[in-house]
Amino acid sequence: MEIKGEHEFQGPRELLYELLLDPDVLSGALPGVERFEEIAPETYESTMRVGIASVRGTYTGRVEVLEQAPPESYRLRIDGSGKPGGVRADAVVELAEASGGTTMHYRADVKARGTIARLGGRLLGGVARLLIGQFFKSIEQQVDDRAA
Amino acid sequence: MTTVDGPVLPKLIGERVKRREDPRLIQGQATYVDDIKLPGMLHLAFKRSDIAHGIIQSIDTSAAEAMEGVELVITGAELAEHLGPMPIGTPFPAPDHYSVATDRVRYVGEPVAVVVAEDRYLARDAADAIEVEYEELPAVVDPEAAMEPGSTTLHEGFERNIAVESYWGGTGVNPETAQPEDDSAVDAAFAEADVVVTQRMLNQRLAPNAMEPRGVVAHYEPGREYLTVWSATQNPHILRTLVAALMGLGEHQVRAVAPEVGGGFGCKINIYGEEYAAAALSRLVKAPVKWIEDRTEAFLTTTHGRDLLGYIDLAAKSDGTITGLKARIIADIGAYEVLLTAMIPTLTGLMMNGVYRLPVVRHELTEVFTNKTPTDAYRGAGRPEGLYFLERAVDMLARELDMDPGEIRRKNFVPADEFPFATQGGLVYDSGNYEPCLDKALEVADWQGLLAERDAARAEGRIVGVGLAFYVEVCGLGPSAVVPTGGWEHSGVTVERGGKVTATTGASPHGQGNETTFAQMLADHFSIPLEDITILHGDTSVVKQGIGTFGSRSQAVGGAALISAAGKAGDKMKQFAAALMTDQEVSPEDLVFEDGRIQVEGAPEVSKTFAEVADFAYVPVPLPPGMEPGISEEAFFEPENNTYPFGCHISMVEMDRETGETKLLKLIAVDDCGNVINPLIVEGQVHGGLAQGIGQAMFEEVVYDEDGQPVTASFMDYVMPRAADLPTFELDRTVTTTPINPLGAKGVGEAGTIGSTPCVVNAAVDALSPFGVTHIEMPLRPERVWRLIQENGGQS
Repeated sequence: MEIKGEHEFQGPRELLYELLLDPDVLSGALPGVERFEEIAPETYESTMRVGIASVRGTYTGRVEVLEQAPPESYRLRIDGSGKPGGVRADAVVELAEASGGTTMHYRADVKARGTIARLGGRLLGGVARLLIGQFFKSIEQQVDDRAA
Repeated sequence: MTTVDGPVLPKLIGERVKRREDPRLIQGQATYVDDIKLPGMLHLAFKRSDIAHGIIQSIDTSAAEAMEGVELVITGAELAEHLGPMPIGTPFPAPDHYSVATDRVRYVGEPVAVVVAEDRYLARDAADAIEVEYEELPAVVDPEAAMEPGSTTLHEGFERNIAVESYWGGTGVNPETAQPEDDSAVDAAFAEADVVVTQRMLNQRLAPNAMEPRGVVAHYEPGREYLTVWSATQNPHILRTLVAALMGLGEHQVRAVAPEVGGGFGCKINIYGEEYAAAALSRLVKAPVKWIEDRTEAFLTTTHGRDLLGYIDLAAKSDGTITGLKARIIADIGAYEVLLTAMIPTLTGLMMNGVYRLPVVRHELTEVFTNKTPTDAYRGAGRPEGLYFLERAVDMLARELDMDPGEIRRKNFVPADEFPFATQGGLVYDSGNYEPCLDKALEVADWQGLLAERDAARAEGRIVGVGLAFYVEVCGLGPSAVVPTGGWEHSGVTVERGGKVTATTGASPHGQGNETTFAQMLADHFSIPLEDITILHGDTSVVKQGIGTFGSRSQAVGGAALISAAGKAGDKMKQFAAALMTDQEVSPEDLVFEDGRIQVEGAPEVSKTFAEVADFAYVPVPLPPGMEPGISEEAFFEPENNTYPFGCHISMVEMDRETGETKLLKLIAVDDCGNVINPLIVEGQVHGGLAQGIGQAMFEEVVYDEDGQPVTASFMDYVMPRAADLPTFELDRTVTTTPINPLGAKGVGEAGTIGSTPCVVNAAVDALSPFGVTHIEMPLRPERVWRLIQENGGQS
């Protein structure tokens, strides 16, 4: 499944790029995160609690940041699994300068397995958009805080 | 004529006797596998693969083993030390398939480890705690891509994922070269044809969804080296044979019991890994063990049905005479061959002869492994697929030639005087008389009236269509030459003290109503009340031998065995009766059963009651010379051929222009299954079959995503037909008996699923034909219908 979209941020893209790859920022901004630690350069381990429709569970995952080209783009490889199954995603994030801020383009190829795929499959896209929305709001808040 | 006091017993064969099984079933008094509770019983849970294809790298069972109340955690590789690969029942080459995967997983849901624990929930939690690491392999999902050179293969030795390839046609295959000897006649027929219709069609994958999921209780008693297995199975005797073989036991050491079974539809023919594993684990942990499938497991692991892709070409003259058929079938059989997997699609080509004279045919079949749940029999098992392809093609031909769908079929029917009729595939249709069945269906449906109704609706701007399909199917499986387990059936009839009768049948029912129909037959045979008869089944320690229930064989094979055993018991009753009447110099040959008595034909005053004679048989003083006491007889019946029932189904559908939703307005089914013991039960069988056949046409489909993840593994996503989706069926029958068994009965269990599916899709195509549509794939999803309407600008 492909999830893609774009989002307008108020801040400069250098700041955004920094925030988006800051483990402390991410651990506060990602919805449901219980743990987010750097275990190796550009590699993070995280525990998240997420509910997809009736399928709720705790997922442990690894996030690798690849192909960093500050402040323009980076790639994320995400592999998470828990009792209800697992999710693997390959995402590319691009930041472009826009009048008054930054436009983020993102697209991710997401593969789910287990109960998530079976029962939550139809809703996965919607839930992902919801979570991404929450994440962006949180990042915007951080941008505002830095500006203040 | 002299009379005696006593009841006059009406004949019951042909009567609408209510099912004797139903009160206990609907009052919660029946015993299913899950109702069985044994002292010290432990529970199994299977850890299953959540990926479609991968190599098992490691399995960490430590957390599960540490849980209190967990008796044993065992991986597939460890279990394989106790259980070899599972046997299959077809002669085709097959890769090894273990009850629990040993080194590699090939479909989502394949078991990789088993937990034995004190209760079901603990077992499940422990299974969740097992950690499995896989090296993922690309999932093979599309059967056509799977056959491409260079594709990922599932099994070593099966290049391009091809399990079975077969080819026949023309004048047959040269056994030395394996090449068609001469099929130039097929090419010539198509070259000379006035019209050829060509269509690629998918007969989609379905999940059988019996109301009761699978389940097994296994109890190995080390002290007496004896194993008892209770299972929701259609064939306990086959279960006994196969489990004994895999456990290294003899059949004398195994008792298999099918208690009440809540539907099978073919998916409970196969003997599954869970059944073998339960037997082996009971022996390992020295305790009875139970496993009950949940609905998600049923979607993932109980065999699926259908999933055949057909490339069909039909050639004809301009007057509608069919001159040739070509079919290239690709069967997506899933990850493994189980009991009958490879055989099912071979029936498709054989039955694609339909009710027609086909001068030349060419059949190509390729069975392909993919990373999906294995397929096996599902109600109709190969015939619905073949008849769907054929009846869709014939309908396209009628449309192409602007002929009435009934009349084009009539033109090509095998005439009544050509039976027994040998098809190109080598089948011999026992009997048939197709025109009266077509006429009756047209009459019951008021075909001309339906057409007028459709045209009037169209004039109002509604999207309405009518469809017709005519099927023939193969029932009464045997004979032994074509059924690897043996194609006979067994029955026992014991006349008890007091004149009651206990009979057994190896045709283990799971909804077919044998307890009623078999009792009707015995009531008439002995002229005793129905209440005096008990039919036992489903327990190999009670039913000495048996094959089971599949392929609509209960009556045609099992009923014939019953009548044979009853005949033997009746003969002995007459000998004892004659011995009781020695003063009247009665010969057994002069005696008949009449109203609870055994009497000289036409002379009821010269008689003994059935009970008197039965009592005498068990205290025979003096014992008549040359006789043994008691009356307990048995019989095997081996049919010499299959039976070929047929029928005509007609339907009317309407589609919503805005939403694309299809509504089934009418369904008329005129079936000919030969002689009928109980019309109520026959109608019940047809109703259930129609619901499932309509379910395939309109609603049901197992869908996998491109990674081999099943996305229809719940009733939220897999659409089952509901009562509100179905119209009141209009049923009727014609009767063409069979010479194959003494009952003249052919079988009706699968009829409904075979005619209804093409009939409904033919109606759907008729409805959409004003939009230029010539074919639509199943199921008739609103989105699919809506798109076809929109592609034509929404205008008819």
